[in-house]
Amino acid sequence: MSSQTSQSCTGFESPFGLSRRTMLQRFGMGLGTIALSQLESAKMVHARDGVLKEVHHPPKAKRVIYLFQSGGPSQLDLFDYRPELEKVHGQQLPDEIRQGQRLTAMSGNQASLPMVKSPFKYSQHGESGQWISEVLPNISKIADDICIVRSMHTEAINHGPAVTHMQTGSQFPGRPSMGAWLDYGLGTENDDLPAFVVLVTKNKGGQPLLTRLWGSGFLPSRYQGTRFRSGQDPVLYLSNPQGLNAEARRQMLDRLKDLHELKLKQQSSPDLESRIAQYELAFRMQQSIPEVTNTADEPEHIFKLYGEAAKNPGSYAANCLLARRLAERGVRFIQLYHPGWDQHGGLVGGLRNQAKETDQASAALVMDLKQRGLLEDTLIIWGGEFGRTNYCQGKLNGDNFGRDHHPRSFSLWMAGGGIQGGVTHGETDPLGYNVATDGVHVHDFHATILHLLGIDHERLTYKYQGRRFRLTDVHGQVVNQILS
Amino acid sequence: MRFVIALLLLFSNLSLSQAAKKQPVDFVRDIKPILSDRCYNCHGPDANNRQAELRLDLKEDALAAIGFEGRRIIHPGRTHRSELIKRIQSTDPDLQMPPADSKLTLSAEEIDLLTRWVQQGAAWDNHWSFEPLQTPIVPKTKNKVWSSNEIDQFILQKLEQQEFEPANPAQSNTLLRRLAFDITGLPPADELVERFERDSSPESYAAIVDELLANKHYGERMASTWLDVARYSDTFGYQVDRDRYVWPYRDWVINAFNNNMPYNQFATEQIAGDMLEQATDSQKIATTFNRLHSQKVEGGSVPEEFRTEYVADRTHTFGTAFLGLTLECCRCHDHKYDPFTQKEYYQFFAYFNNIDEAGLYSYFTTSTPTPTLRILSDDQKKQIAAAEMAIASEQTKLNQLAKQANEGFATWLQQRPSEASALEAVEILGLEQELTFEDFKSGANQSVEGKVGKAIKLSGDDAVGLTVGNYSRNTPFTVSLWMNTPDIKERAVVFHRSRAWTDSASRGYQMLIEDGHVSVSLIHFWPGNAIRVQTKEVLPPNQWHHISMVYDGSSTASGLKIFLNGKPAASKIVRDNLYKNITGSGGDNIAIGQRFRDKGFKQGLVDEFKVFNRQLTEAELAHVADGNSLSTLLAIPTADLTETQRQQLKQYYLSQFDEGFGNQMAALKAARDQRSKLVDGAQEIMVMADMPKRRETFMLSRGAYDQPTEPVTARTPAILPASESGNANRLTLAQWVTSPENPLTARVFVNRIWQMMMGTGLVRTPEDFGSQGATPTHPELLDWLSVTFMNNQWNTKDLIKTIALSSTYRQSSEVTDNKLTRDPENLYYSRANRFQLPAEMLRDNALLTSGLLVDKQGGPSVKPYEVAESFKPVARGKGEQLYRRSLYTYWRRTAPAPVMMTLDAAKREVCSVARERTSNPLHAIVLLNDPQYVEAARKMGENLIKEFGDDHQAAIAQAFRALTSRHANQAELDVISHSFKQQLTYFQAHPEETQQFLSTGDAQRDTELPADQVAAMGMVINLLLNYDECVVRQ
Repeated sequence: MSSQTSQSCTGFESPFGLSRRTMLQRFGMGLGTIALSQLESAKMVHARDGVLKEVHHPPKAKRVIYLFQSGGPSQLDLFDYRPELEKVHGQQLPDEIRQGQRLTAMSGNQASLPMVKSPFKYSQHGESGQWISEVLPNISKIADDICIVRSMHTEAINHGPAVTHMQTGSQFPGRPSMGAWLDYGLGTENDDLPAFVVLVTKNKGGQPLLTRLWGSGFLPSRYQGTRFRSGQDPVLYLSNPQGLNAEARRQMLDRLKDLHELKLKQQSSPDLESRIAQYELAFRMQQSIPEVTNTADEPEHIFKLYGEAAKNPGSYAANCLLARRLAERGVRFIQLYHPGWDQHGGLVGGLRNQAKETDQASAALVMDLKQRGLLEDTLIIWGGEFGRTNYCQGKLNGDNFGRDHHPRSFSLWMAGGGIQGGVTHGETDPLGYNVATDGVHVHDFHATILHLLGIDHERLTYKYQGRRFRLTDVHGQVVNQILS
Repeated sequence: MRFVIALLLLFSNLSLSQAAKKQPVDFVRDIKPILSDRCYNCHGPDANNRQAELRLDLKEDALAAIGFEGRRIIHPGRTHRSELIKRIQSTDPDLQMPPADSKLTLSAEEIDLLTRWVQQGAAWDNHWSFEPLQTPIVPKTKNKVWSSNEIDQFILQKLEQQEFEPANPAQSNTLLRRLAFDITGLPPADELVERFERDSSPESYAAIVDELLANKHYGERMASTWLDVARYSDTFGYQVDRDRYVWPYRDWVINAFNNNMPYNQFATEQIAGDMLEQATDSQKIATTFNRLHSQKVEGGSVPEEFRTEYVADRTHTFGTAFLGLTLECCRCHDHKYDPFTQKEYYQFFAYFNNIDEAGLYSYFTTSTPTPTLRILSDDQKKQIAAAEMAIASEQTKLNQLAKQANEGFATWLQQRPSEASALEAVEILGLEQELTFEDFKSGANQSVEGKVGKAIKLSGDDAVGLTVGNYSRNTPFTVSLWMNTPDIKERAVVFHRSRAWTDSASRGYQMLIEDGHVSVSLIHFWPGNAIRVQTKEVLPPNQWHHISMVYDGSSTASGLKIFLNGKPAASKIVRDNLYKNITGSGGDNIAIGQRFRDKGFKQGLVDEFKVFNRQLTEAELAHVADGNSLSTLLAIPTADLTETQRQQLKQYYLSQFDEGFGNQMAALKAARDQRSKLVDGAQEIMVMADMPKRRETFMLSRGAYDQPTEPVTARTPAILPASESGNANRLTLAQWVTSPENPLTARVFVNRIWQMMMGTGLVRTPEDFGSQGATPTHPELLDWLSVTFMNNQWNTKDLIKTIALSSTYRQSSEVTDNKLTRDPENLYYSRANRFQLPAEMLRDNALLTSGLLVDKQGGPSVKPYEVAESFKPVARGKGEQLYRRSLYTYWRRTAPAPVMMTLDAAKREVCSVARERTSNPLHAIVLLNDPQYVEAARKMGENLIKEFGDDHQAAIAQAFRALTSRHANQAELDVISHSFKQQLTYFQAHPEETQQFLSTGDAQRDTELPADQVAAMGMVINLLLNYDECVVRQ
């Protein structure tokens, strides 16, 4: 995926400051010193550099798999064990805890806000003794590989702004997503596949997702995530038209190339050369993408590891397995989404169901990468956009209660890629409402991820509308305590 | 290879810097961008962030500033005495500028430039784009023959300075194809190609330019660009992203361009069309421009947070679209680079902060967010006017009946019951339901001692539901109750008949406590389509009050009253603009004390709750409150009645017993129902309409909706020529924008037209004309075009024609190695730019040449194949919906048409003024396989086989011509024929696959024709639809 003029159309770049990559694009193919046949096979043209000529420090992670749990998983029922809530169960949320903080307009007008304990049992796991709830038996098994951050906090109180914040560093639309930033900064290791792939669990209700979550914002659009679909065409219109086989297509592409070369003979033209290369790349993608998405060659024990659902394309488990295959092939950023974590009511059943869909495959991915030696340079992130309240939304009727959105504290876990396993970072107050120690803001989370990839978050910038934008805006501190 | 590039890089930098050294340093071109980019973050306009009290954005400050040891910061002509030069040359981390923690650096080249600038006397100019427009002198050039008009003189002057030759003129076919796409977004018609081949004289060319500009497709092409600016979308955006009705705005844009509406009027109508004298519907629809931002409905959102975002979006869009300014940069603090303060941002904000809008649209209904305009035909307007007349006439008759002497009343007055037994039985008619709360159980609500027996004490979370109350806005009704509030409530729902609060924009009616006052409302969409009255006094807490809500069915605030303890309460009108139904949203019956996601009447007491299906008279209302007023009144002998008492009895009589009056009431209601029939179903569109009383605007700390600070009023910024009018509003803002003194408006628009015609703007950052934007490559040309444009009544077609007629435009896009090396960005326009056609043109080209295009202009959006493949798929349309121009493709903001996205269409989340151009293998994949393109290919193949039969050579030649606007040469024909034969062989061997291929898409196929030939010819077209000359504007 090479570019002709993307820089000049979206941000002003001085002609003095052409990067090596830009030079390659602008002049490299225009020199007439390389035969076309060489051009097509030369790997150096295929692997695309990022804007950073070199990373800022040695990276611990080379790629990221972000298992986004959309909807706001209830941290109090999964990772943030707050036994004190058992004592105050049913009592009103004290004002001194709430500190006048704004609530959503869903429960904000409730006349009563009774606190509610977790209906699930917690126990300690692994040598590290991390507390994990009973609904996640498989993630419990990898307790020593993961770092649980219990002191995440954010600002937004509703899904749209909150997910956008987690993915782009801003609550409001228009900024590039994390994957786009990394593609822009680091480029790709395998140009036969997109550098930033998005996998969404299919047929899952819950809060809607938006394409902007994996969009490129003001960065050129080629940095946007490519969503792989679960159907016949992983990429839109990847397959040849009905009735046309690969051979006929190849013949047609050969003639197209002949026609282009006739034109090239009359007049050298770098962008025509780029177009010729583009069609070759497209043809290769027609093979490379189905090759990676077709998991039929995986042995039975792998399906066992990820769960039977992994045989069902588009399921979370299948997407986890696909994420591993993409990681193996050098895809930089693999973004999964699993919606449905929005338990405003019916939390007990709802959460069990969510856990059932994700627990085994999430743990399997970590174990699988580990056994392949890929975990050490692959960063895995599991988490949502905010947490849930320690008080009940609606009426507290036995077990059928719900929790509202809660930005003041939530939990996520990370593994591999320079993250210290078996560590719990940060703490909330005994009632699980506010962060008590070692708070990690969304911007800090982003700064840390970039750090693991060898990037100083203050130095990966893009100039747009006169300003140098960063993923972390003007904030962000690397969370050094959780680095290995 | 890397070595070669390194050499090349070295060489190119060398040649550029040598060229640069020849000329003196230019402040605007060379110095200001460096100061702005590396220094202004700490030494710029933002006062709060300024270091060492030094600012380098203003000449006086910068040249007067004193640094260390009394040295001046900038000492013109004396570099060693200039602190700035010392600091930028220093390697001492304590002294070095920019400091290390800024993560900014200066290159050796830039340090050299700054040093030479000081050496040469530190000349200083103000920022170019804020300087007044003056007509520049058209330069003289050595070459006297190349220029066709003034544009070329400006271009040629720079080319001669750079020792570049202009490119040869483009071949006539190439030029015509370029021109047709640039102006109409479609390839040239065959007839035009032939005509221009016969006669390619300048006169013939000029005539064709005129013809294309007069073509109705011109408006569509211009609109597809402007819709990016207007962030047009058929849906609301954000998460839920429902459909909205805004396409009449798109039609307005198309028509405006086709009618060549002067740009100043085009801008004025969109900014403030509603405020023009006797504004037409069309002028109001133009203001939909301001409402095309995303809108929110997600449950639990804070309305004011999003309303603030809407106003901000309007402000930013206005800034980018008309002024090329990045106003969003000063929302949270003073602008870092441009001379705009945060206060000035909110002064702009104030212009757009005065419409009666909600922060959320309605989840449970399809009400159009206010303010709105009803879309009505002339016929409908006439019918509505007639209905209004009928209402007025029936109302007059009713008033007369009430006023005039009435024999029946006199008789009744004599015969009215007066004995005690009858009086006790006085019955108020129309009672539909009554709750006395004796023996009453309801959720967590409690039964407590009440005003009469027991009352209910409300939890605030549990509603008490009734079984009645679904009144239309034409039905008079009365609701009365005893209530007792424990405290002065900021907000509490006493009772309501609605589905929800913000989630249904409160549609229905309601009684609330607001800051201790009682308010009653009838609402279609709060706040812009509703009536509300509120008591002037705060209701004292901890005592019982009898309150009635009384409504006369008139849809006006004067017909809605609050009675307190039997008497009319002193009230004020809060809203008086109800023009649509209040029913049909669900929540059909009255509920007491709680509403979905609203604040309930926590710990409030309610007793004796009564609902009447008529407007009670004053005497009855007093009676409901005290249980004896009417009885007492009825007992007074006729002779002893005061005039007031007499009138009260007359009202009571008319309302209860007079048949003629009753009939007239029914006639009035029927007239109102007739109006409802006409208007309640009418389509509405969001427009601008200012509230009579200005909403106060405050500066917002860090831009946050909940942190207002200083109040501000609408005003234009100090750095730009002042607005003349005293009473600033959107109309004066539009006048200011389109004033000839405004240095930005014409420059910004002219630059975008140049960009549209030439591929890149004279200012390469069309979205930013500020300090951080690019300086114009040809400032004098930009000014000449801008001044000429304004002097020519802002005539857009003429502007385009002037550009099209220039030799600059007509150059070939072929490039020499020398030019590519020395000017890779084509900053000097020494050739035409080559680039892939925008998404819309690629598809429209395929549709047109295959004969599938449905050439219908305007109307609702359509759903071609690709919308079914979007991330949020919607069912695709059928028939002509599949083949309209891409401009009409349904635009879903959070999941736009996926092929358009792949092909670099703008995202339209926010205003955007330039498309990106990327080269991406996914483009190839779409153009090769998308059924829309494959269908077009097979249809065109079919047409060719039908026309040419077995003469495949002729068919191929014709196909090539149709898709490239030129004749193929023999070598090209050979390649294509080769391809045809290969494909024919394939299809002959695969008859079943042939049928599959030919059934791509909905279009009917001609089964009489030989399938294998049609399919093979289809693949020839598929090849050509991917051929460079077909998809590239060159």
